[in-house]
Amino acid sequence: MRKKLWASILFGSLGLVVGCGGGSSSSSNPSPPNSSPANVLAITIDGGPTATQSGGAIYTNGVFATATICAPGSNSNCAKVDHLLVDTGSMGLRVLQSAMSSLKLPAVNASNGSAAFNCVSFVDGSFLWGPVQGATVTLGGETASNVPIQVISSSTTNIPTSCSGNNLAHDENTQTLLGANGILGVGLEPTDCGSICSSGATPPDAYYTCSSLPCSPAFISEANQVANPVVMFSKDNNGVIVELPKLSGSAASVNGSLIFGIGTESNNQLSSSATVFTLVCDSFTTIFENQTYVVDPQTCTGGSFIDSGSNGLFFPDVNNSIPVCSSKTPIGDLSSFYCPPSGLSLSATNEDPNNTSTTKKTNFTVDNALNLFTASSSDAAFSTLGGLNPPNYGFDWGVPFFYGVNVYSAIDGQPMPSGLPAGPWWAY
Amino acid sequence: MVRRSMTFASWLMLGIGWLGLSCPALAALGGDLTSVEADRAHLKATSLEVKPAGAYEVHSIQAPGGTIIREYVSPAGRVFAVAWHGPFIPEMQQILGSYFQQYSAALGAKRPYGRRPLNIQQAGLVVQTGGHMGAYFGRAYLPEMLPSDLKADEIK
Repeated sequence: MRKKLWASILFGSLGLVVGCGGGSSSSSNPSPPNSSPANVLAITIDGGPTATQSGGAIYTNGVFATATICAPGSNSNCAKVDHLLVDTGSMGLRVLQSAMSSLKLPAVNASNGSAAFNCVSFVDGSFLWGPVQGATVTLGGETASNVPIQVISSSTTNIPTSCSGNNLAHDENTQTLLGANGILGVGLEPTDCGSICSSGATPPDAYYTCSSLPCSPAFISEANQVANPVVMFSKDNNGVIVELPKLSGSAASVNGSLIFGIGTESNNQLSSSATVFTLVCDSFTTIFENQTYVVDPQTCTGGSFIDSGSNGLFFPDVNNSIPVCSSKTPIGDLSSFYCPPSGLSLSATNEDPNNTSTTKKTNFTVDNALNLFTASSSDAAFSTLGGLNPPNYGFDWGVPFFYGVNVYSAIDGQPMPSGLPAGPWWAY
Repeated sequence: MVRRSMTFASWLMLGIGWLGLSCPALAALGGDLTSVEADRAHLKATSLEVKPAGAYEVHSIQAPGGTIIREYVSPAGRVFAVAWHGPFIPEMQQILGSYFQQYSAALGAKRPYGRRPLNIQQAGLVVQTGGHMGAYFGRAYLPEMLPSDLKADEIK
C-alpha cells in the first residue's frame, strides 16, 4: 500500500514539474525451543547492554530481544545476539558487525551485480552503514532462511558523504553509540524501502555499490532489500503482537512477548476487545486538544503512528501549554521531552482514516522527564515519558503506549485469515 | 509509470527552459541564492516550483526517492527556513549549510539513550524532526529571520 502510494506521489509531483534543469558473539548452535510456543519471542525493557557496564548508561524504554543468526545452510556457524532493539517503526534486521564478528555471511547484490551496501538514517540524526548479507535468522522458535540483513560496519572507511553527511560522529556503529547490538525492525512493510529502491530514474541514497569508489547509489530488487524477517517465516508471517504488562510509574525492568502471526495460532487470535484501524500511508488519525491530525495522502504527513522504537509519547502541543525540558540539565540535553511542573492527565482519540466511525480513546499521563530520570535513575521503563513532535504532525505513540495494551501490527501484502482486513493495519 | 513521467518531465523542463522562466532551486539554511543550482545538483534533485507567499518565496525541490524539500527565501535572497517530508531524510549537511556544526553539537548532547523525534531549540537555530522509516518529516529555521507574516508553526 505504501509503495503504491509513493509511486502515485512521485507521479503526481512530477506532473507539477516546472523546473529547468552483540552481546555474545561466540559461535553456538541455535537455542533449542523452550517450553513456550514457537511463535513467541521474549522481549525485555532492561536498560540495554550498556546498563550493566561500569558507569553504563540506561537505554530508556528500549524494548530488546535476542536473535540467532547463522550462515545460510549452517546450524553451527552462528552467532546469538542479544539486545536487539525491537522496532515496529522500521523494517529489517541490522546487527553490529562487532556483535557477531566470528560470523561470515554471503554478500547480497544490487541490481548491477555488485555487493550491496545499505545506509539508513533515523529521526534522531544518526545513521547506520554496512553491507547487505544473507542469513538464517531464528527468533524464538521461528526461523527465516536467506534473509537480507544489514551488517553495521565497524569501519567508517568508504562511507559516502551522501550517507554520512560528512559527519562520522553520527555513525552509531558500536554498542556504546547505538545503546544496543542492533535493531530488529518488524514494522508494517515487507522490506525497508520497496519499489522506489528497485527501479526509476535515479536511485535514492539508500542502497549503494562500492565496486568503484566513492560508493554510489544503486537500485536493488525488492527481494534483495533488507527484509522484515517476519515475512520470511514459513508460517505466522503476517504480523506481530507486542505484549507488555501494565506499568504504573517506572520500573527497573519489564518483561513481555513478541508474538508472531495474527489469527494463525491459538495464542495470536485478535482479541474481541481490540479495535482494528486500517491505515493511509501507514498512519492513522489522532484527535487531541481539538485538533485533528489526519494524514495527507499526497504527502503522507500529518497523521499518527504507533512505534515501539520510539521511547516516549511524542505529540504536538498546539497551545504551547506544556513546557519542554531544558537543553542544559545536570543530566544532559532533555529538550526532546516535556517537563510539566506536575503530572498531566491527558487523553487523545485515534481514528481510522478510512472509516471515521472507528475510534478509540487513550488516556495517558505525562510527567516531568527531568524529575523522572533524576528520581528513578536506575530504572529503564517509564510509563509517563512524553515529548514534543513538531507542529502540524500527529502522535508518535512510542513505548509508553504499549504498557498494558496488546498492539497488533499487520504487515502489508501478507495473507490474512478471513474476517480480517488486508494489511497494513494496527489493532489494540 | 515513473519512468514514463520522468520523460514527460524532461520534455516539460526543456519547454520551460526555452521559455526562460526563472529556475527554482535550493540553497542551504542561512545561505543566499547565488550557489543554489550547485546545491540542487548536489542532491540530484528536481525543481518543482517557486511559490510567492507574502514577503517571501517557497522553493520546492524533490530528491531521488521522492523526498520534497521546501526552502523559504526572504526578499533579500536569504534562506531562513527549510522543511522536508518524504521517504528519506535529506542530507543534513547540505541543507543546514553553515549551521550543520551547531546541529551536530546539539545531537551529541542529547540524553539519555533512546530513539525519538529531535527538538533542537537554540538561540538562532531550531531543528525539529519526526516520523519513521518510509515517512520522515522535519524543519529547520532561523527564528530571528522569520518575516512578520509567517508564524513558526506554518513552516512545513
